[in-house]
Amino acid sequence: MKTGLVTEQCLIIALLATTLVLAVIVPDAPAQAVSNNSIFIGILFVLAFLFVAELYLQPKNIQTVTDIFLLLSGLLLLWEVLFGKLALLDPFLFPGPAKVFAVFGADWEIMARGVGNSLFILTSGYLLALIVAIPAGLYIGWRKRLFAVAYPVAKAVSPIPPTVYLPYAIVLLPTFWASSVFLIFIGSLWPIFVGAVYGVFSIDQRLINSARTLGLSENQMVWRILLPGAMPSIFSGAMISLIMSFITITVAEMIAATSGLGWYIEYHHQFANYDKVIAGMILIALVVIVIMFLFDRIQQHCLRWQQV
Amino acid sequence: MLLKRQCAKHGVHPIHRSTCQNVICMATINLENLSMIYGSNDSKYTALSDVNLDIRKGDFISLIGPSGCGKSTIIDLVSGLKVPTEGTVLIDQEPVNGPGPDRGTVFQDYSLFPWMTAFENVCFAIEHTNGTHSRAAVEESAQKYLDLVGLGKFRDAYPNTLSGGMRQRVSIARTFSMNPRVFLMDEPFGALDSLNRIYMQDLLLHLWSEGARRKTVLFVTHDVDEALLLSDRIAVMTPSPGRIKEIIDVPFARPRCRKSLSASADYVTLKAHLLSVLYCEMQEAIEKQSVDHRTAA
Repeated sequence: MKTGLVTEQCLIIALLATTLVLAVIVPDAPAQAVSNNSIFIGILFVLAFLFVAELYLQPKNIQTVTDIFLLLSGLLLLWEVLFGKLALLDPFLFPGPAKVFAVFGADWEIMARGVGNSLFILTSGYLLALIVAIPAGLYIGWRKRLFAVAYPVAKAVSPIPPTVYLPYAIVLLPTFWASSVFLIFIGSLWPIFVGAVYGVFSIDQRLINSARTLGLSENQMVWRILLPGAMPSIFSGAMISLIMSFITITVAEMIAATSGLGWYIEYHHQFANYDKVIAGMILIALVVIVIMFLFDRIQQHCLRWQQV
Repeated sequence: MLLKRQCAKHGVHPIHRSTCQNVICMATINLENLSMIYGSNDSKYTALSDVNLDIRKGDFISLIGPSGCGKSTIIDLVSGLKVPTEGTVLIDQEPVNGPGPDRGTVFQDYSLFPWMTAFENVCFAIEHTNGTHSRAAVEESAQKYLDLVGLGKFRDAYPNTLSGGMRQRVSIARTFSMNPRVFLMDEPFGALDSLNRIYMQDLLLHLWSEGARRKTVLFVTHDVDEALLLSDRIAVMTPSPGRIKEIIDVPFARPRCRKSLSASADYVTLKAHLLSVLYCEMQEAIEKQSVDHRTAA
């Protein structure tokens, strides 16, 4: 296995080096030509640097990290050779990597503002949903009578896709910001709410009894027992909500915004700038990866008591 | 002042406040004509029928009997988790009205909150029994009780990472730290292996008999040796409907030594008697079950 890993690491270096050499020495296909491929080269260097850092740090999951590097460098080489150099498919629809990465250099200001705007709307709506849905879910899960009324309603309303509210949100709320925050709030609300209610139900009755023998007040019961007890289920709901929010914000921006990640892609799609469309997709993927990583970290921290 | 407020909070009658003011909070428990019937008219199940039991201050009482005889139901009634269909539970002559921290309960394996470390579990219990304590006092006390059960070093471990025996030691530390008037233990060592169980029995006896902390204990078990080693009196129960069949005095002097006790003639006779009572019961129960089964079929 050890030698297998070393072979794999050599292969990654070879792949990156080949891509680099191709990018620097071999000219692009005429249709793919770009004035400045320095960003693509820079990215290859960054990738190589990260890989060396990995070799040096020797993380615990080194096999997985190496596999991911192999996948990335392999795909980059294929992309560069097939589209960049040979232009096998329509060069207009399938730009080469140098062309796509050059967009990041040209448009970085618009992109940064777009990421900022999108994330601001996303966090506002999402946090609002957390603040409303968790207490509501905990209390309603705890109070059987409230539950009997609220749960069927929640179940009926929850499958309605949040974008359906878009016409009303645009008409009734003053700004794009307010209406998209509202959409994300409504879309995120139900999965978190259902997660909290279900989480309260899934707490072992014997644990509840143990808590009751301590003579806790209602508030202490909800915040010190029900909240942590329901936390695993709340997190699985919150994860679904987060993904829903991403879809919602992108779609909302495509329809009605003047900035943001979804708007960027939609806008350039209208002008048939496919290199910018792909750059926008890569940007969204990067943002999602970072946010999911943070989410994972928070989840691991909050549920550290679950790990054996 | 602090204790007085505590008493007022728990609704202790002024006459009985004296017991609480001595810090040594002990209490009597009286079960009067307790009946517990589950289910509605068409499918009734009588878990307890007319149970009477008077427990003196500082007494260690064991409830023993086959499963389904209502041992755990009695614990639930005394702790206030359930309300009896008939009869009352009196603690220091005050009727029980819902659960409260004046009765410390140790369950088989579900007492600790898995999202709190051992230390946080104990702190949490102390905070909610003595609301007025300062944080430093709470933490000091929690550390003291964890040290007492030999788990001072495991204070930051989550229950999931502890063994079953260690978890029960934390549970016991937590219950002692609450300084309740009454101890309720529902088969606390039932899930432990025999070596751990011996260790825990000795630990419990040691903690319990330490002068100032001597509590009134109601202890549920299905282990004859455990009952004989620990208790002052043993209430033998019969199932369907749950009733107390016999109350046996355990006359052995304290402190008791496990080794010499099990060799003494009195112990052997008492154990034989207990076993025969339980055995008869079990046979009756099995016969009854098979009869029920046949009629049902």
